[in-house]
Amino acid sequence: MSSTSTETPRRVSHARDFTRPGFYVKLVLMMLVNAFGLYGIMASFGQEKWALLAFLAVTLVVVDFVYFSKRAIPAKYLLPGLIFLILFQVYVMANTAYVAFTNYGDGHNDAKGPAITQIMKTADRRVEGTSTFPVTVLDRNGEIAFAIVEDGEPRIGDAETPLESAGNAVVDGERVVEVPGADVLNLGQIQQRQKEVLDLRVSMTDDPNDGWLRTDNATMAFVAKSLLTYDAQADTFTNQDGKVFHADGERGLFVAEDGSTLTPGWKVVVGFENFQRMFTDSRLSGPFMSSLVWTFAFAILSVLTTFALGLILAVVFNDPRVKGRTFYRAMFILPYAFPGFLAALVWRGLLNRDFGFINQVLLGGVDVNWLGDGNLAKLSIILVNLWLGFPYMFLVTTGALQSIPGELTEAAVVDGAGPLRRFFSITLPLLLVSVAPLLISSFAFNFNNFSLIFMLTGGGPNYPGTPAPIGETDILISMVYAIAFEGGNKQYGLAAAMSITIFFVVGLVSWLGFRQTRKLEEIM
Amino acid sequence: MTAKLANGDNDVRLRGGRWWAQVGWKHVFALLMIVYCVFPLLYVLSASLNPTGTLTGSVNLFSAFTADHYAELMASDFPKWMLNSFIVSTSTAVGTVVMAAAAAYAFSRFRFKGRRGGLTALLIIQMFPQMLAFVAIFLLVLTLGKVFPFLGIGSNITLICVYLGGALGANTFLMYGFFNTIPMEIDEAAQIDGATHAQIFWGIVMRLVTPILAVVGLLSFVGSYGEFILARIILARPENYTLAVGLYVWGSDERNAPWALFAAGAVVAAIPIILLFMYLQKYIVSGLTAGGVKG
Amino acid sequence: MRKSLIAVAAAGLTLSLAACSGGTTPGATSSPSGDVSSPAASAPAGSGTVTIWVDETRVETFNTIGEGFTAATGVTLDVVQKPTGDIKTDFIAQAPTGEGPDLIVGAHDWVGDLQANGVIAPVELGDKVSGFNELAIQGFTYDGQLFGVPYAIENIALVRNNGMVSDTPATFDELIAQGKAVEGAQFPIVIQQGDAGDAYHLYPIQTSFGAPVFKTDASGAYTAELGMGGPEGLAFANYLKKLADEKVVSVSLGGDQAKQAFIDQKTPYMITGPWNIADFEAAGIDVSVLAVPSAGGQPSAPFLGVQGVYLSSQSENALVANQFLDYMASKEAQDKLYELGGRTPALTESADAVDDPILAGFAEAGKEGQPMPALPEMGAVWTFWGSAQVSIITGAAAPEAAWTEMIANIESKF
Repeated sequence: MSSTSTETPRRVSHARDFTRPGFYVKLVLMMLVNAFGLYGIMASFGQEKWALLAFLAVTLVVVDFVYFSKRAIPAKYLLPGLIFLILFQVYVMANTAYVAFTNYGDGHNDAKGPAITQIMKTADRRVEGTSTFPVTVLDRNGEIAFAIVEDGEPRIGDAETPLESAGNAVVDGERVVEVPGADVLNLGQIQQRQKEVLDLRVSMTDDPNDGWLRTDNATMAFVAKSLLTYDAQADTFTNQDGKVFHADGERGLFVAEDGSTLTPGWKVVVGFENFQRMFTDSRLSGPFMSSLVWTFAFAILSVLTTFALGLILAVVFNDPRVKGRTFYRAMFILPYAFPGFLAALVWRGLLNRDFGFINQVLLGGVDVNWLGDGNLAKLSIILVNLWLGFPYMFLVTTGALQSIPGELTEAAVVDGAGPLRRFFSITLPLLLVSVAPLLISSFAFNFNNFSLIFMLTGGGPNYPGTPAPIGETDILISMVYAIAFEGGNKQYGLAAAMSITIFFVVGLVSWLGFRQTRKLEEIM
Repeated sequence: MTAKLANGDNDVRLRGGRWWAQVGWKHVFALLMIVYCVFPLLYVLSASLNPTGTLTGSVNLFSAFTADHYAELMASDFPKWMLNSFIVSTSTAVGTVVMAAAAAYAFSRFRFKGRRGGLTALLIIQMFPQMLAFVAIFLLVLTLGKVFPFLGIGSNITLICVYLGGALGANTFLMYGFFNTIPMEIDEAAQIDGATHAQIFWGIVMRLVTPILAVVGLLSFVGSYGEFILARIILARPENYTLAVGLYVWGSDERNAPWALFAAGAVVAAIPIILLFMYLQKYIVSGLTAGGVKG
Repeated sequence: MRKSLIAVAAAGLTLSLAACSGGTTPGATSSPSGDVSSPAASAPAGSGTVTIWVDETRVETFNTIGEGFTAATGVTLDVVQKPTGDIKTDFIAQAPTGEGPDLIVGAHDWVGDLQANGVIAPVELGDKVSGFNELAIQGFTYDGQLFGVPYAIENIALVRNNGMVSDTPATFDELIAQGKAVEGAQFPIVIQQGDAGDAYHLYPIQTSFGAPVFKTDASGAYTAELGMGGPEGLAFANYLKKLADEKVVSVSLGGDQAKQAFIDQKTPYMITGPWNIADFEAAGIDVSVLAVPSAGGQPSAPFLGVQGVYLSSQSENALVANQFLDYMASKEAQDKLYELGGRTPALTESADAVDDPILAGFAEAGKEGQPMPALPEMGAVWTFWGSAQVSIITGAAAPEAAWTEMIANIESKF
């Protein structure tokens, strides 16, 4: 690398030297980033997205500082990745942490306002035995009104006035077609004002007990009454028998004295309740220990087997004398090139006890219960995960192998070291320095490898008769799924609390492991 | 680069027993491995060529043959999905390589406060269970879409951004380890010549780490190519789907799944990955580093 | 290398930034309250578009129905394809954000979950209700209220390969004996199970012992009282064990394997639904569809699955969406849905016009059937139910013990 600007005693970055194109590239980029950021800040102000506004403002200040400052050189390289990391990954963590303290899940899916609206909406029911009427939607001095024909007589009413006869209206069959002093709205106009039309309740008579006329589709109207009345002041619903449902802000439900509730409830912050439930739920404590042991065994064995096979392949085929190794390597990547969920489906078929390829063809008709026996199912999972995972390790180690200087192995050859010794005393330790963190991250990935377990065995074979659908091959995260989403009843709050707890476990273990690799790095 | 071999032997023609001991067995091993890699996929290939039937119901592979499903595949939305996948995965791979390499360069070449902590944090953050990510990401994307309309639901750019959220992490580590093997003397020599940090990064270091750039690029390409959990939430409509989402949709209906079409799609989808790997191989095993160190 | 990388990166960044600033500058200068809607947001009220989520197999059907609806009302139906397994979950998660669809197509047994989450609105069909199959309406009724417009009914039945046997005996035991005697048959009959069990496909046999999942009241609606707990349930559990011992059912016989066995003519009978018939016919098999012979003395009654359209409680376009539901209830729409979907229409008038022997067979087999229960707890019930049946089939637990355990587990959910 030679440079013409060696004369200057202090090196000036080309991005600062305005005689260089680098300066202009940087300037234009920074202008665009600032324009983009400022636009985002203004738009989030307009949309009242305060959190995003704060994020953009802080980011913009940091970006400007980092790239216009002469210092903070590492930050110049770290920042782009970090911004994406914070926006998409740290946000997910924060959101999950928040959900862990709420009762979000089936039955508590939305805020309180929509819950009240929905309760009122489902309580507003057609009065049984009443007739339906073809309805005409009118605009009377800017107010929506309904016109129907009841017993051959045209009747009109709106939000203020109950239905009353309108002798001057023109009737065609069952329907009012023209009303003096009011406009009959056509389909397009009705669609424009559909909220008003849907919200309109026209009292049948002066007596509220007679119910009201409403329509859902502007062609047919019916008589309806509400089974519940909402008192906004007291925040209660009262049904027709006088039973009162009070809003319970701690549970996010309307609850009556006798314990009955109204659906739906709403989302509230419940504090540590989800964490408490996790530790007191007897269904979890039973299989927890065996599942914990299996989770560790699965994660560790998965890493070891995939790494071992990947490494062997990488080393063996890192040999130019092997003709056709380009093709071989491409074939080794095949399992990686197919979608993982497809592979799990296929393997489930292959391992089928009576009809699978492995028992029927490969093993010549033996009766091995691969997925139905606890231990064999565990073995199957490890084997399938080996198939799925070794190409990754193969790629990674092939890449990392290129960084090992040839001189070292050459020197060893001179020293008379055999190939195995060369491998274990030189290649492997050097390789581990760069690959060890990946092994840890692969451990963590497998620790939470929900999809493999879910698709291959679904956690089964189940422990017979347990009060929760948990099986012998369930790892912690699939156990979380089985409990928190049992039978499709989704308890996101509980699932979030459990995921966070698992994160602490796996994070701690990984942190300890990572400290070890640092030592390894320092030794080398 | 073929003159010197990793194991120090010179490239001389080996014969007979010695050939078998040193090279021949590797071919046998390769063939065995290929059988292991390929045989589950024969099911998929067989199902894609079978006019009727199921994915895994029969062990009689290739009992019937038709290419109809491939024709049907090309007439479906599949080519569109493939194009989307190329756009998304290529952008993700390029972005990931650049950002991860930059971060690895910072961690490897500079000593700054919080370096160790930062490295550890990167590793640990990736371990967060993504079980509820689909809820969080959906809310985030709704908000982003209100502010930046091109970053909303149904946009490829959104998906690329979400994938780039994972650009650091394991990739940074892989590169970091590789960067560390490049002697600092090279940087120092360039600095004396008056090169700036940016010139050293783009001009020298990035060239020497080509193998790992290719590996990370491939890993990132394959990762985003096969991802469907977040993609199906963000892309929302079939015309925006990537391959993985499209295949997932076809395969998700247990009763009515068009298995043959699904299998044909999986076969075709695997081809670009294999081709990409064949192409990148020469970079991955280029051994440029060694040359650089020596040079 | 260096130059090209920088160029690529810079070009990429510039392009994307240019795209943003170019595309959105007007928005930045407009008033702060200016509505910048996302591209996938549902259309604003009055523009005459309703969005509907449907699964892969029904996209074409609803596109066609949409054309009919547009012709009738001028409103466009925006059909969005979603993965079958995701429609319900995604809808529950997305409806509260206001970004969900106006309508979804789904099975009637989602109604409990959807209503518990407050994401669907009641539907008032007025007097048109009487034109529908009573059971279809019952399926979509929850807590005394109708929550959707049904359009198709399906159920499982006994499907016979006429090339292998030509008549079917009256009891299940005789059927097994007959099937075993058929030359070349590996199985007398196949009933798909799989590792997680499949209570749905065994249900016709279970009901023939008089052990329905829940007891029904006079109107035919389910009560919360379990119907499979008593001696009838235990009798079925023992019978299931017998079927397993005779290798009639097995957990390794999943949906794929069962279907393949029938296509390969390894079995004269299969208990399955109309979704497989097209593939059977494509394989050149002449099939008849019959009621499942009784195993326990009482008539066999499969579960009925009703397909229909739900209305989102968060729809900004509810009136137009209701007009679509109104259209769905018309004979024109139901006829078209039958024509394209091939399932028995829910509208009696349309169903009466169907003269397909296969569908008639399914309808006959489902004559005694009840819609699948739609309680939110049903998910847990299915899990325990399947799991207990697997224990019985594999012999992991004694039939009566497994069944009693299951009943206790299910009762703890209520």
